[in-house]
Amino acid sequence: RGLFIIRVFLLFLMGETLPRVPGGVPVRTLRVKMVLLGSSGVGKSSLAVRFSKDQFRDSSPTVGCAYLTRVLYLEDITLRFEIWDTAGQEKYHSVTPLYYRGAHAALVVYDICKKETFVRAQVWLRELEKQYIPGSTVVWLIGNKEDLSQNREVSLQEGQNLAQEKGLSFTETSALSGDRVNELLLAVGKSSSHDAPVQTGRLSDNLSLSNGVPQGSDSGPTFGP
Amino acid sequence: MSQRTERRGIHVDQSDLLCKKGCGYYGNAAWQGLCSKCWREEYQRVRQKQIQDDWALAEKLQREEEAAAYASSHSAHSQSTAAQHASVGHFSKFEEKKTNEKTRKVTTVKKFFSPSSRTTSKKEIQEVKAPSPSISRHASFDTDQVSKEFVDFLKNLHKPGRETYKQCRAFLLNMSSKKVCCPPETITVSISYQNKETFLFRQDLGADELSECVQDFYQNLADRLISHFKGSSESVEQVMDQVEKYIMTRLYKSVFCPETTDDEKKDLATQDRIRALHWVTIQMLCVSMEEDIPEVSENVVKAITDIIEMDSKRVPRDKLACITRCSKHIFSAIRITKNEPASADDFLPALIYIVLKANPPRLQSNIQYITRFCNPSRLMTGEDGYYFTNLCCAVAFIEKLNAQSLNLSPEEFERFMSGQTSPQFSSSDSDWPCSESGLGTTVTNPVLVQLNHNLELLTGLCTRQEAVMEAAQSLQADLLTWSDSVQQEVHNILEKYPLEIISKVSAIDANTDNDNLPSPIKPQVFAD
Repeated sequence: RGLFIIRVFLLFLMGETLPRVPGGVPVRTLRVKMVLLGSSGVGKSSLAVRFSKDQFRDSSPTVGCAYLTRVLYLEDITLRFEIWDTAGQEKYHSVTPLYYRGAHAALVVYDICKKETFVRAQVWLRELEKQYIPGSTVVWLIGNKEDLSQNREVSLQEGQNLAQEKGLSFTETSALSGDRVNELLLAVGKSSSHDAPVQTGRLSDNLSLSNGVPQGSDSGPTFGP
Repeated sequence: MSQRTERRGIHVDQSDLLCKKGCGYYGNAAWQGLCSKCWREEYQRVRQKQIQDDWALAEKLQREEEAAAYASSHSAHSQSTAAQHASVGHFSKFEEKKTNEKTRKVTTVKKFFSPSSRTTSKKEIQEVKAPSPSISRHASFDTDQVSKEFVDFLKNLHKPGRETYKQCRAFLLNMSSKKVCCPPETITVSISYQNKETFLFRQDLGADELSECVQDFYQNLADRLISHFKGSSESVEQVMDQVEKYIMTRLYKSVFCPETTDDEKKDLATQDRIRALHWVTIQMLCVSMEEDIPEVSENVVKAITDIIEMDSKRVPRDKLACITRCSKHIFSAIRITKNEPASADDFLPALIYIVLKANPPRLQSNIQYITRFCNPSRLMTGEDGYYFTNLCCAVAFIEKLNAQSLNLSPEEFERFMSGQTSPQFSSSDSDWPCSESGLGTTVTNPVLVQLNHNLELLTGLCTRQEAVMEAAQSLQADLLTWSDSVQQEVHNILEKYPLEIISKVSAIDANTDNDNLPSPIKPQVFAD
């Protein structure tokens, strides 16, 4: 038994002296689980495809776009995004809590051209609040289809107000043009790596974001005009 | 006088016919001169002795093997596995005897021996579930195969591999030793495997506690592995997958659908529920799959097969793989129908439809088992986790399903549920908003649809075959009549001009006469 302990200890020491990745900082892989919530037709799937491939419609012959992945590299962390799409129909609302168990980020999406999707988004937010554990899941409010802003039914201010009130991060995106989609992904990754328990070392500063990341109940950053 | 006849061997003395034990009943030569009752007793005694000898042999081998394992812990690991395999031969013989005996006395108290726990080597345990011999033998073969693979896999890892193997063994022993603290009268289930590991579990050790034990073990092992591999999560995951396979193959029988939980009741409830919902159509669920397209129905059938197959797997990850395969088929089906990648909005209803059509066996037990004993990172994240979550959602939805979720009026829903009417008869006046086409299509199992389709094809082939046969026969008849007609024609002509030949002969005769005919042409030389 004594020998065993010594051996484990030795192994541990040896492990410590193993050669590191050039640069002196160990490369870590972080899985970031991201759940997309929102009514049908707000563009969750398009947004998911945009996240994973930076395309609008999926041109490659994949069968489904309900579960997608994307790998991003920060300075010392490899972020492996897992994008979980959910069914938006109202009748499946009651089962959606199963999806956001253990999620690092929940993105509540609405269509800025459809008022009722914004109302539905608030229902989703209320539902999320029940399950919400501060620090474990970062909730974002996303107004999609910004490219159609001439048909806008929900103003930017309304979205910002709701986010401020609930203490969420907020942004408007366009899955069609890809506006602010990558920025959003980076911000989600950054906030998730903040919250990750195994976090060591400093975060990279080379993110293309100037805004901070939401902490506690302060209002989050807004990427609007 | 009677003595003489006895010597001659024609008549046998009455006493010779009686049981040798002298119990007063008649004996039988086939039972070595004993009566049936005494024979059974005697046979039992001999059997018991033989079994005990076998136990002793197995125990001895186990000790030797352990000694070898300790000795070789510094040298190559393969030595211990060699010892293990050498003993398999003896053991399989022993296993055979045991199963033989099992078939003879079906429900009796048996002695079960656990060589791996030396503290309580021989103990009387009432066996609760006696698995049929064929199943147990098959299972032990699988288990053996898995442990062999596990050892092979760990060999490549050298030191951490050996550590992992030791820890797994220790954990399994620890799980089995839990019975030490339980009183003998407690009902325990014993599972005996070919590689001489007998695990006994307290039935009153709840499923959640067992799950906690396993999950704690995963956690500890993963932590240790992370320090070994220096944060390379892929290698850790690989090892953890193998560990899960090794451990869960062994624990499966005792922890799948345990009696302490109401899993079985839930299984039955879900099964009944799905059966009651047999009338739900693809249109009611707004599934974007056209089952008329052959490729789609093929994918649907494959998806149903995969989800049913899940029950037959023992390792949680294999079960997850079945769900993933099923999901992939559903995605293909939707893609073929819609000609664009399926989104979650399409996928979940389709999965619900597949679950309703498949009615997978022991669905709740399987979900509970995966939740309790799968590596948690596999369930919360990853593709498998995503599809598993969807399956859980589908089951939750089916449980809560009501008229509203199928776009039906409550009265209609009640009528369908009570079986008074079924949708295909009332389809003419129904107004399901999602039905774009095929309102009249009846609710049938996709397998049946496939079957009907195949039958139709076969019927078509039959009629074509008949047509071909008919044509062939008429051709044959034509050929016969043609040859007949040719013959007839030849005959007619022959009859018509029969005398020509005779006249020719006369002409030759005239030629020979050579009187009033011009002289025959003779060759002339025109050129010099």
